[in-house]
Amino acid sequence: MSSGGEHRADDRETIELPNSTAYPLTLALGVTLLAAGLVTELVISGVGLLLLVIAAVGWARQVFTPAGESVVQVEPAAPQAARPKRRVETLRPGLPGHRMRIPEKMHPYSAGAKGGLVGGVVMAGTALLYGVLSGRGIWYPINLLAAMVMPRLVDASAAQMQLFHPAALAIATVIHGVSSLGVGLMFGVLLPTLPRGPVLWGGIIAPLLWTGGIHAFMGVLNPALERLVDWKWFLASQIAYGLTVGIVVVRSEKVYVSQRPPVELPE
Amino acid sequence: MTTLPIEAGLQQERDITSVLHGWVTTVDHKRIGILYMLATLLFFGVGGIEALVMRWQLAKPQAGVVGPDAFNQLFTMHGTTMIFFVVMPMVLGAFGNYLIPLMIGARDMAFPRLNAMSFWLFLFGGLLTYFSFIAGGAPSIGWFAYAPLTEYAFSRGTSTDYWILGLLVAGIGTVAGAINLVTTILTMRAPGMKLSMVPLFVWIMLIDAFLVVFALPPLTAAQIMLLLDRMLGAHFFDTNAGGSALLWQHLFWFFGHPEVYIMVLPAFGIISELVPVFSRKVIFGYESVALATLAIGFISFGVWAHHMFAVGMSSTLDSIFAGVSLLIAVPTGIKIFNWVATLYGGRIRLATPMLFALGFLAMFVIGGLTGIMLACVPFDWQVTDSYFVVGHFHWVAFGGIVLAVMGGVYYWFPKATGRMLSERMGRWHFWLLFIGFLLTFGPMHAAGLLGMPRRVYTYLPGRGWEIWNLLSTIGAFVLGVGFAIFFVNLFVSLARGAPAGDDPWDAWTLEWATTSPPPAYNFEKIPVVRSRRPLWDLKHPDDPDWKHE
Repeated sequence: MSSGGEHRADDRETIELPNSTAYPLTLALGVTLLAAGLVTELVISGVGLLLLVIAAVGWARQVFTPAGESVVQVEPAAPQAARPKRRVETLRPGLPGHRMRIPEKMHPYSAGAKGGLVGGVVMAGTALLYGVLSGRGIWYPINLLAAMVMPRLVDASAAQMQLFHPAALAIATVIHGVSSLGVGLMFGVLLPTLPRGPVLWGGIIAPLLWTGGIHAFMGVLNPALERLVDWKWFLASQIAYGLTVGIVVVRSEKVYVSQRPPVELPE
Repeated sequence: MTTLPIEAGLQQERDITSVLHGWVTTVDHKRIGILYMLATLLFFGVGGIEALVMRWQLAKPQAGVVGPDAFNQLFTMHGTTMIFFVVMPMVLGAFGNYLIPLMIGARDMAFPRLNAMSFWLFLFGGLLTYFSFIAGGAPSIGWFAYAPLTEYAFSRGTSTDYWILGLLVAGIGTVAGAINLVTTILTMRAPGMKLSMVPLFVWIMLIDAFLVVFALPPLTAAQIMLLLDRMLGAHFFDTNAGGSALLWQHLFWFFGHPEVYIMVLPAFGIISELVPVFSRKVIFGYESVALATLAIGFISFGVWAHHMFAVGMSSTLDSIFAGVSLLIAVPTGIKIFNWVATLYGGRIRLATPMLFALGFLAMFVIGGLTGIMLACVPFDWQVTDSYFVVGHFHWVAFGGIVLAVMGGVYYWFPKATGRMLSERMGRWHFWLLFIGFLLTFGPMHAAGLLGMPRRVYTYLPGRGWEIWNLLSTIGAFVLGVGFAIFFVNLFVSLARGAPAGDDPWDAWTLEWATTSPPPAYNFEKIPVVRSRRPLWDLKHPDDPDWKHE
């Protein structure tokens, strides 16, 4: 192992460093020739083996004798060259962000969870409204959601899709509840950090992006399901959800973020 | 032509010889790191030219730039070169070697001579692989070398043997280098520097080195088995004689997927250093970044068969590997969150290294999302072996690794040379790379979704692939111009760049506490470390970090 040992002689510090050596190169060349000989001539492998042995012995002698290292005198550091003009502004105590987790205050996670659940109810209401107004009945959007994981529903006729299926109701409720809660939590954390307010992002931008993404890929992921979705109403339900979450989150009272290490908080 | 007096000429010759001798016999980690960088840039140039020739061929249907045999050789050598002789040695050998002893306050690597041997094995392994061009033609088996295509019956001649032997030789060097990194980090840290205080780059390289040690041996074993098949008539992968072609795929991808993380984790490490310095904030969630890396390291060993969804595994296995592949998105997402949270509220300076870091953040997220799509078995079945996969992989490899590595080069070049890289050329380089990247690899996704298979040397007109291929080719040449500017910047700045000083970015890790370039022994005195930002403590004795950690 590299010793890097330090000594003090004649009031000047010295350091032991390993000497330059050609043995590593020779050994690597030996290994390479040994391999190359397998596809060319065995005599090349022989030369490689010879180099490998010579290098290994020489290397070992360097490691186990003082000849492998030399003492280097430490030179005092030269004065620094000028730094370039353009550089990063120095971080100083008192600047925003100095050892502080920002933002200092944020909406509690529970606001996101609450928003997600309330938004989920509003979204479900929008979907049911679509079922009624389109004449397909209230079970149609529920069966459509369950069809994500129930392939037999994708192949079902339009009449069957309008009927009540207990299993579909159970599955759709679980999917809707879990995703509403999860996305609500995510919105609760992210939305307040985005510029121009949570309602704009949650109510307009995120639903547009999300719906656009699903619309673009549904044809590849599940072409059968794509034909059954009414995309205008799909977008409307996403906007209803996003707006609700945004409003619930904004209405909650902000709390201080826990700071580690503790810092003095403003009054 | 100038004529030198005889003595002056001899003196110059002696100087050049002694300089050359100094470099080839060096055991100094910094010089070895620079040698790695130079060698990988050379291979990068070669691999890049191979890619440009392929793109030229695919720019329009039924082009005649190269024939099918040459095309097969080109994509085999491009993939092999970029994976084994560019990215892996660059991140582990160049960045790891140069930076880790400096960052942990050590005088050198734990085994300096072994370090030199690792470099020479890598270089000779690369040259041996490329020697196949002279010895009758390069291998044409793809960088993954699927069996039974690699069996002697289908790959006659010696090109495949050169591929196996070249990678074996380089692989020995890579494993030795990884062991050296692990030992150095675990045993040679400056006094007071606990593992919980090392820079995140070091943490990530430690995990990365462990991945190399555990992932590479299965590939080495598989290559030896293949060599036995080809040279001594064994039947490991010979399906006609009772062997299993799938065995190769399992062994290869057991190495191959951790390999993706071996390449990308150091990029995460570089980003974890750049983002705090150029945001003027402490990294958000140091512990969670380190733990997420550990989680990625573990999970990466359980995802290999997501490369094999199309081979006909059971639906249970498909589901398990899909689930684990989706799971790895969680720690990766945690890191993205940490970097974004570090940026949030920071005093951001858009210097060239930071431009690359931000480019990485945006592009890696998109590459990760297409990875999640591919982890879904039904989708994977649709696009297996299509250009969508090529687009995804290159999006991650280029948008993730290359952008981060370029950011790292701009950041640490001043430390290694004492000169700043030109910011103006750096911005040209960044924007050309960014635009070229989008133009090259974005259309590949579209071509793949339209059904274009990968590894084809040409295609018929009228399938809707023409425009996407033409855009990709234009993008590839834009990338080429961007890299040409980068190389010019390297040479010009090395000769005439502004002096950097010891700490041009006002950073906080120990490599900036010594001169630029550092002396052979790295530090006049080994610093005593008390916090994660030792240089902050030295600069601000009135307000040190260690009081708050």
